[in-house]
Amino acid sequence: MEHIVFGIGITALAGALATVAGSAEDTESNIGSQGDPNSQVQLAPQMGFLHRIFNKAVAGEPPAYGLWCCLGAGLAWAFMAMQFNAVLAIVLGCVFATFVQGVYATTAYVGRTASLAKFGQPVYVDILKSMTTVTMAHAFIAIFCTVTLCHLINTALGHPFPLPLLGLIWGIALGAAGSATGNPYYGKERQYQNQKFGAGVPISASGNIVRYAEAGERNSIDNGWFTAKIGGSASGICFGLIVFLELWRTVVFEAINPWYAIIVGVIMILIFTVIDRYIEVWARKTYGPYTAPKEADA
Amino acid sequence: MSVKVEVIEGGVPHNTILIAGVVSTLVCIYLTYLNVVTQTEMFSFFGGLAVVAALVWGSHTIKVLCSYGIGTGVPSAGMIAFGSGVIAMLLATRVTNLLLAPVVALILAAIIGLILGWVSNNVLNMKIPAMVQALTEMAVVGALSLMGFAALITGTFGFSGLTTGTVSMFGITLLTHTNSFLGGCLIAVAFLLGAIAIQHPFNACLGPGWTQDRMLMLTAECAFLSMIVAAIMSLALISAGSALISLVIAIIGWAFTYKEYMALSKRDAHSWLDSKPIPDVEGH
Repeated sequence: MEHIVFGIGITALAGALATVAGSAEDTESNIGSQGDPNSQVQLAPQMGFLHRIFNKAVAGEPPAYGLWCCLGAGLAWAFMAMQFNAVLAIVLGCVFATFVQGVYATTAYVGRTASLAKFGQPVYVDILKSMTTVTMAHAFIAIFCTVTLCHLINTALGHPFPLPLLGLIWGIALGAAGSATGNPYYGKERQYQNQKFGAGVPISASGNIVRYAEAGERNSIDNGWFTAKIGGSASGICFGLIVFLELWRTVVFEAINPWYAIIVGVIMILIFTVIDRYIEVWARKTYGPYTAPKEADA
Repeated sequence: MSVKVEVIEGGVPHNTILIAGVVSTLVCIYLTYLNVVTQTEMFSFFGGLAVVAALVWGSHTIKVLCSYGIGTGVPSAGMIAFGSGVIAMLLATRVTNLLLAPVVALILAAIIGLILGWVSNNVLNMKIPAMVQALTEMAVVGALSLMGFAALITGTFGFSGLTTGTVSMFGITLLTHTNSFLGGCLIAVAFLLGAIAIQHPFNACLGPGWTQDRMLMLTAECAFLSMIVAAIMSLALISAGSALISLVIAIIGWAFTYKEYMALSKRDAHSWLDSKPIPDVEGH
């Protein structure tokens, strides 16, 4: 019984870490215009809309975060193998992983923008300096929280996988959660605030993303500030729930019978499918498909 | 039938890069065998140089393949390169004569790549002309890069060396499988370091202003960056002096290629502005 209570405590802590990681990951990727909103940032100059938005698509979020978290975990594993204290090892591992992330971010922005020279899009050095550091700060939080929760799973819950493999798996899960949950808020909402709500993105508006802010010209920190409010939190809850529920069902039910953990997992998927379907139907009924405004009868 | 959207204009032809890539990668991997000959670990850095050579060749192959709209995105090419390469690499490390391992890895990877290319074109009906050759090349690049990473981190590319490490306890050195390249799953880190480094250069440089020298310089930069962190990880498995040699070489290589890449980007960019507003474009 005691080890189940201990396990639930670790599960709660891992869930809390995952919530922070998810939130930081989404904000980081939005500041860097990573994931699906990237296509419009890349397209805008080609349609004549030059902008000051950061564009650092290294890869899709899941592979990119797979690398950052796996690398952080691998370096932490190496430092621990050298008899470093676990906390110091994880911090050092994450610092080096964040350095790699930062270097990739700069080369991605400079490379993509230089390839758009034909359309007159300049490389903004101030954007490069200020946005990269902000994404690195957020990436560090996301990587550190993920590697720490992997270390907890490995040492406190006795998971048989080595730390780098757990880092790979949970890094990909983190990127997927942030990409699926948080991105629509940036790509479908923030970039197209100049379009009618619910209008979707008509072909004629492709690339016409919002480039001017309340004061001056919009940059990616404005986007991070905006999406941190709802998109980031939603991603945090998503990843936190994934980690918490996954560990909870294993810790509680595996002690009774390993098959129970699998059955509970299947039941949870079914419950979430029903909830998702209900929300989708409710949203469609409430907001409906977009219809063109009718001409007033005159 | 997909449509080729871009062509390679000027620059070094792909076949030249292919031949140079195969030869230099194999030579560098074989040079790590000096560790066995001299009973040291100080030649491990050649593994990192093999990674640089293989990735430069591989990223150009990705450029050739992804010039056709493959519909799955550029990063997927990096994943399949290393996904198919890891099988060949692990199988090849089991050969009895260690000196044959790199060549066996090359041949096995080529066979796996050929099969995957055939399946993509004929079963999945992707029908992309460059697919079979590109997937074959990329599987070889994946297998040889992983072998290079293994040699860089552990000093050897033999299976026993990759699965056995040492741990010191109360002054006694014990053999362990947990503290090793495969037991500690550092191969997962090597996999992703390579898979992202191989696809990033084309992904970052694609567009109408693509230039070959800029992309290949970026590949070398990504490879040296991966070598830096791999050298840090190697501190856990090989002697500190040998790991430091790899680290210093990696840092010098990275700093040089990063500086060169930035200079090439400045050359290709429309303008290089600091704290300036969006320029006026007619009609917007």
